[in-house]
Amino acid sequence: MATGRRLFWLIPLLLLPVPIFLDQYRQYVANLILVYVPVGVGFNVVVGNLGQLAFSNVAFFGIGAYTSGILMLKLGLPWWLTVLPAGVMGGVAGAAASVPALRGVRLFYLAIMTLAFGELMRWVYIRWEPVTGGSFGMAVPEPSVLGWALNVESRKFYAFLVLVVVVIVLTDRLLRSRFGRAFVAIRGNEEAAAAMGIPTDRYILLGFAWGGFVVGIAGSMYAALVGHLSPASFDLTELILQFAIIMVGGLGSLVGSVLGAALLTAAPEFFRDLPGFEELLFALLIIVVILFLPRGLASLLARAHPVFDDRYFRE
Amino acid sequence: MPALLELSDVSVRFGGLVAVDGVSFEVAAGEICALIGPNGAGKSTLFNAVAGNVAVGAGRVLFRGDPIQDLTPHEIAARGVRRTFQNGGLFGHLTALENVLVGLHTQVDSGFFGLLAGTPASRGTEAAATRRARDLLALMEIGHTADHLAAELSGGQQRMVEIVRALATDPPLLLLDEPAVGLAPPMREKLGDIIRRLASERGIGIVLIEHAIELVMSVSDRVVVLNYGRKVADGTPAEVRADKKVLEAYLGHV
Amino acid sequence: MLSFLPQLVVSGIASGMLYALMALSMTVGYRATTVVNFGHGDMLMLGAYASYVLVVGFGLPVGPAVVLAAALLFLVGVAAQRFLMQPIIGGPHLSLAMMALAVGYALRGLARIEWGNDVLKLPRAYPSGAFMFGSVVVTTDDLVISAAVLALLVALYVVFNMTAVGRVIQAVFQTQRGAALVGINVRAFHATMWGVAAALGAVGGVLMALIVPLTPDIGVATLVRGFAAMTLGGFGSLQGAVIGGLLLGIMEKLLGFYVSTVFIDITAYLVTILVLLIRPKGLFGQHATLRI
Repeated sequence: MATGRRLFWLIPLLLLPVPIFLDQYRQYVANLILVYVPVGVGFNVVVGNLGQLAFSNVAFFGIGAYTSGILMLKLGLPWWLTVLPAGVMGGVAGAAASVPALRGVRLFYLAIMTLAFGELMRWVYIRWEPVTGGSFGMAVPEPSVLGWALNVESRKFYAFLVLVVVVIVLTDRLLRSRFGRAFVAIRGNEEAAAAMGIPTDRYILLGFAWGGFVVGIAGSMYAALVGHLSPASFDLTELILQFAIIMVGGLGSLVGSVLGAALLTAAPEFFRDLPGFEELLFALLIIVVILFLPRGLASLLARAHPVFDDRYFRE
Repeated sequence: MPALLELSDVSVRFGGLVAVDGVSFEVAAGEICALIGPNGAGKSTLFNAVAGNVAVGAGRVLFRGDPIQDLTPHEIAARGVRRTFQNGGLFGHLTALENVLVGLHTQVDSGFFGLLAGTPASRGTEAAATRRARDLLALMEIGHTADHLAAELSGGQQRMVEIVRALATDPPLLLLDEPAVGLAPPMREKLGDIIRRLASERGIGIVLIEHAIELVMSVSDRVVVLNYGRKVADGTPAEVRADKKVLEAYLGHV
Repeated sequence: MLSFLPQLVVSGIASGMLYALMALSMTVGYRATTVVNFGHGDMLMLGAYASYVLVVGFGLPVGPAVVLAAALLFLVGVAAQRFLMQPIIGGPHLSLAMMALAVGYALRGLARIEWGNDVLKLPRAYPSGAFMFGSVVVTTDDLVISAAVLALLVALYVVFNMTAVGRVIQAVFQTQRGAALVGINVRAFHATMWGVAAALGAVGGVLMALIVPLTPDIGVATLVRGFAAMTLGGFGSLQGAVIGGLLLGIMEKLLGFYVSTVFIDITAYLVTILVLLIRPKGLFGQHATLRI
C-alpha cells in the first residue's frame, strides 16, 4: 500500500506542464481549483474527521484572505511572506471557533453558533472599513514570491501547486498518525476516546486549529488570485459551495477533498450571470449525495481501487 | 503498600437522588473483584464514578494511594485505569487494529512536529505501535480480525477487541463493564479464563460488573454487593453466596 | 435619555412579536422531530413570496392570501420532512443538518431564479398610520403584527392545552416511543408537525412582508434571529421561544439606541454565541432528550 500511495506524487508531476495547454482564463479556473483544495482539506478535517458540526469554514477563509491582503496593502509585505500569517490567523480563528465545542456545545447548537460566527465575521469585513475597505472591499497588490512577480496565471499556478502539495502531505501525515486516529475516535465515540487517555478537549482544539490554518492558507491564495477582496465573497453562498465540496467529494477523506474541489470549484464560473442557479445546484447536489451516496465520490473511487481508500474514516 | 484501588465512603448524587451512598472497599493488585447487585443498585454509577465519567459527590477514590475522584476521565485513563463499556464502546468504523492503536495512544511517543516533518523517528514510533497492536491481537487469538471493521465482527470478537484495546498499555487496573453480556456460554468460559489469567499472570487488578452469577462466582476473588446504593456484603464468593442480606436484596427486588 | 425607554421597549416588543413567532414555529418543528430545521428561515421567505404572488399576481386580498400561503407552506413542510428528512432519520446529525440547510438553499435559489435580486414590496393592506399613547408612538403595522401574533399564540395555546389533538401532540413531544406504543403514527406526526411549523413560519413571513422589503435573503436574517430567540429562551421550550423573541426585540432596540446602531444587526449573533457559552440552557431551557 505504501508504494501505491507513493504514486500520488505523480499527480503534481503530471500537472507541471498544464500551463502550456491552458489559456489565461482556463488557467485562472485551474488556479481557483488549487485554492479550493486546501479549503476542502481543512473543512474536512473538522467536519469529516473530527466529526464536529462546525459551519464556520468561510470565516477562516475570509480571515486568511483579509490577513494576507491587509499585510500586503497596509504593511507592504510581499505575498509569500503573508501566507504563513494568514494560516496562523486562520488557526487562531479555528481555535476560537472550537471554544464552544470545548465547553461541551455539540451538534445543532455548535452548528448554529459557528454559523453565527461566520456571519459575524462578514459583518466585521463590512463594518471595519479603515482596515478591510468595507463593502467595496480592498484591492490586493500584485503577489510575488521572493521577488518573482506572479503577474500571469501560470506563475500563480506553480506557486499554488507547491502550497497545495505541502498542505496535503502535512495533513496526510497528521491524519495517519495517532492524532488523526484520535480525531476519528472522538468522532466515533467521545467518551470511549477519553477512556483511552485521549485529552479530547485538546484534540478538538488541535483539529479546529489545523483546519483553520489550512483554510487560512487557502485564503491567502485566494487573495493572490482574485486581486480584490470583498465581503460578498464570504457569504452563505460560499458556505454551501464549501459544504458541497466535502460532501460530494467524501467526508473524512483527503482524496474526497481534492475530488470535490476539482469538480465543483469551476461551477460558479458558469453561473456568474445567473443568480440563484449556483445555490440551487449545490443544494440539489448535497441532497442527492446525502440520500444516495453519503460517503461521497471518494467512496466510489475507493471501491474501484484500494489505493484511493483513505483509511482515516469509513462509514 | 497502599491498595491498588481504594474507595473511601464514596457517594454520588444526581440532583436529589442518591445513587451511591457511602461505599468503601479495596482492590489489590492481581485481585479480581466483582460488583453485583439488583438493577438500579448503583453499580454502573459507581463504576462511572471511579472512571471519572460521573462526578463524585463525597468521599475519595484512591488509585495507588493518589486521589483521583476529581480528575477527568482521560487523566484517570492516562494514569493506568482502563475500562470497557457495556455496549458501543468500540469504534465501529475503525478496524480492530486501529481500535487497539487508539488504545495505545498514550504510549505512542510521536510528537506533533516530528510527525508533520515525517522524521524517521516519528515514522518508526508509529510503525512500532502498529506492530505491537498486531501482536496484542494475535496474543488473544484474534489476529485475523486486525484489518476488519470492528462493526463487522461477531459479538464475541468485538468483546475481545475491546479487552485487547483496554489492555494495550498494560494498565494496572482494569474495569470491565458487563463483559459477558450477550455472549454464549462457551465464549463466557473463555472470557473467564482470560480474566483469571490477566490477574494471575500479569498482576492486573480487575473490577467487573456482571449479572452472570456463575461467571462471577467462578472468576472472582472477592464480591461486593450493592443494594440501593449501599454496600451490603463484601467477601469471597462463598461467603457472599451464603449471606442472607444478599438474598434479601435480590428477593426484595423481585 | 431615559425618556426614550418606554418607546424603545414598546417598539422592541412589536418587532419581538415577529421573532417570537419565528422562534415558536422553529420550536414546534424541533420539539416534534428533534431536528433543527436550518432551512426554516427560507420557508418563511417562501411564504412571504407566495403571498406576494397571490396578492400582486392574482389580486387576492391579504387575508385569504395569508391563509393560502400558510396552506402551501404546510404542504412544502410535510413534503420536505417526508421525502428528504425521514429517509435519513437516525443517521449522522451532520447529514440531518446539511439536508435541512440544503433545502433552505434550494428554496432560496429558486426564489432568486424567479425574482432575481430585485426588492419587492407587498402593497399596503391597510393605511399606514400611528397612534400616540402618551409619549409613545405605536404604528398600525406594530398593532396589526402584534395582534396577529397574539391571536396565533392564543389559538396555539388553546389547541395544545385544551383539545384532544393538543393532548396527542404534547404526548408525542414527551415521549415518542411511548406515543408509538399507544398507536400514534409517529412518522405521520413528524411530517405533519414540520408542515405546521412551516405554515406558522409562512404566516410570520407574510407579516414580515408587511413591513420589510422582500428579497430572497430575508430568510437568513430571520433564521438567525429565530435561533437567538430560541437560545435565549431555552432551546425546546415553547414559552421560552416567545419570551426569547420578545426579549431579543427589546434588546436590539435598547442596545441599538443606547450603545450603538451597530447592535441592530449583530445582537442576534452575539446573543446566540454568548448564551450558548455562558448558560446553554437559556432561560427556560429543558434538556430536550426526546428519544426516537
